[in-house]
Amino acid sequence: MKTDYKKIAFDGVIASNPTLKLVLGTCPTLALTTLAMNGIGMGLAVTFVLICSNAIISCLRKVIPSEVRIPAFVLIIATFVTIVRLVLDKLLPDIYDSLGLYLPLIVVNCIILARAESFASKNTVLASACDGLFMGIGFTLALTVMGAVREILGAGAIFGFKLWDFQISFFSSSAGAFFTYAMFIMTFGIISSAIGKKKKIKAYELTRAALNGGTEQAENNAAFSSVNTCPAPISGATPIAAEQAQKISSGITGQAEKGQSQNGEKTQTQTIKEEEN
Amino acid sequence: MAKFVKSTWFKCITVLLVISVISGGLLAALNDLLFVSSEERTARAVAKIYGEEITVTEDDIILDTASADPEKSSPIEYDFGRIDKIYRVNEDYLFQTVGFQGYKYGTVTLWIRVVPNSGAANIDKVILETYSKQTLMSKFGETYFSEFKLTDITENYRNGNFFSPDGGVNSNPNTGATLSATACCNAVNCVIKYIGENLDEN
Repeated sequence: MKTDYKKIAFDGVIASNPTLKLVLGTCPTLALTTLAMNGIGMGLAVTFVLICSNAIISCLRKVIPSEVRIPAFVLIIATFVTIVRLVLDKLLPDIYDSLGLYLPLIVVNCIILARAESFASKNTVLASACDGLFMGIGFTLALTVMGAVREILGAGAIFGFKLWDFQISFFSSSAGAFFTYAMFIMTFGIISSAIGKKKKIKAYELTRAALNGGTEQAENNAAFSSVNTCPAPISGATPIAAEQAQKISSGITGQAEKGQSQNGEKTQTQTIKEEEN
Repeated sequence: MAKFVKSTWFKCITVLLVISVISGGLLAALNDLLFVSSEERTARAVAKIYGEEITVTEDDIILDTASADPEKSSPIEYDFGRIDKIYRVNEDYLFQTVGFQGYKYGTVTLWIRVVPNSGAANIDKVILETYSKQTLMSKFGETYFSEFKLTDITENYRNGNFFSPDGGVNSNPNTGATLSATACCNAVNCVIKYIGENLDEN
């Protein structure tokens, strides 16, 4: 089966964004987004662990028995988290200090375990690594943008550069983290549902256009059934709705023909009876 | 035996063991490559305090538990903390102290700069080096440690003015929440006691 890398990329960054759509990895999201730089640091650390662990788990997916797959995944993930810790402590001590407790906690991060279990253990190495990369990019983007908003509003700065003296300290607090996160999820939900609706309308119009070649009755039935069976047509389900519509329409036509013949028979019987009388 | 070798149990144990051994080997090699030595950590702390890299020579070491010289290697211990290192940098003194009795019996290691000032000594700057078991120490920023400034350590020692975790530093203007760490206070109190005792004796 051919891997759709475009879909993997789109899912990772937007459609199944781990932070804003799947609501995974909430703990570091709330705790570390006081500064945009923390978001980038955490995001990159998670991306590295995601890519490496996904690739290795995918490599070993036929070797690891399903009975011990979770301990094996945790062992692999923990190895890469330790590597990240060693590298950050040596090369970027400031980021290492600011990430603090949340760096070793990447081991039990839901995003990494979820991708290992649901994607890497069932797909090829390259596809798994790509999934890790794009999930990581989605996570990093969400954390960085959230961190930037909280830093601007809560500290009047961005990436450590002072913008103005005005600041709302609520946004630097834990309550501010929950509030900002909720606003982000809501905004993301509104935008993605608006895009989804547009796609559905487009798909519905395409279905109608595709059915234009049929009989007038079939078209009417198709439009009727697609509206009734799927009031908010889903892009993937529309061809099925069209098929159903055609089946229903042909069914109705068949029944009508049968009805006509039944009517015909009755007329013939009635005629014989009339003749006998 | 042959039955066990073919069993799923054997396969599970073998796979986990192989992954553990390979991971362990890889981490051991990387640890050797990326290990941050005590000297490097000291250099980082000094650079953080002075804003530039300053080399501490052997003559500048007054006390260092890692030193080969037995006279300089024994730490100064108190009930509430321990002094591991004392360096003389320019005209100042740098102390590396460990505070005890923290959260979950954890410890906090601080670097403290003491500046002599016409016969007296002041605590000028305190920075965090490391901690154990104090899981939320990364939340203690510069604002918290800047509260540890103290003028005339000897006078405060004579009056029994030590740092106390009661009260703490206001960390959130909305909620009024405060940050306080017993181990941090104890680490700074080690310096107050050491300087107070030594200056009193001299």
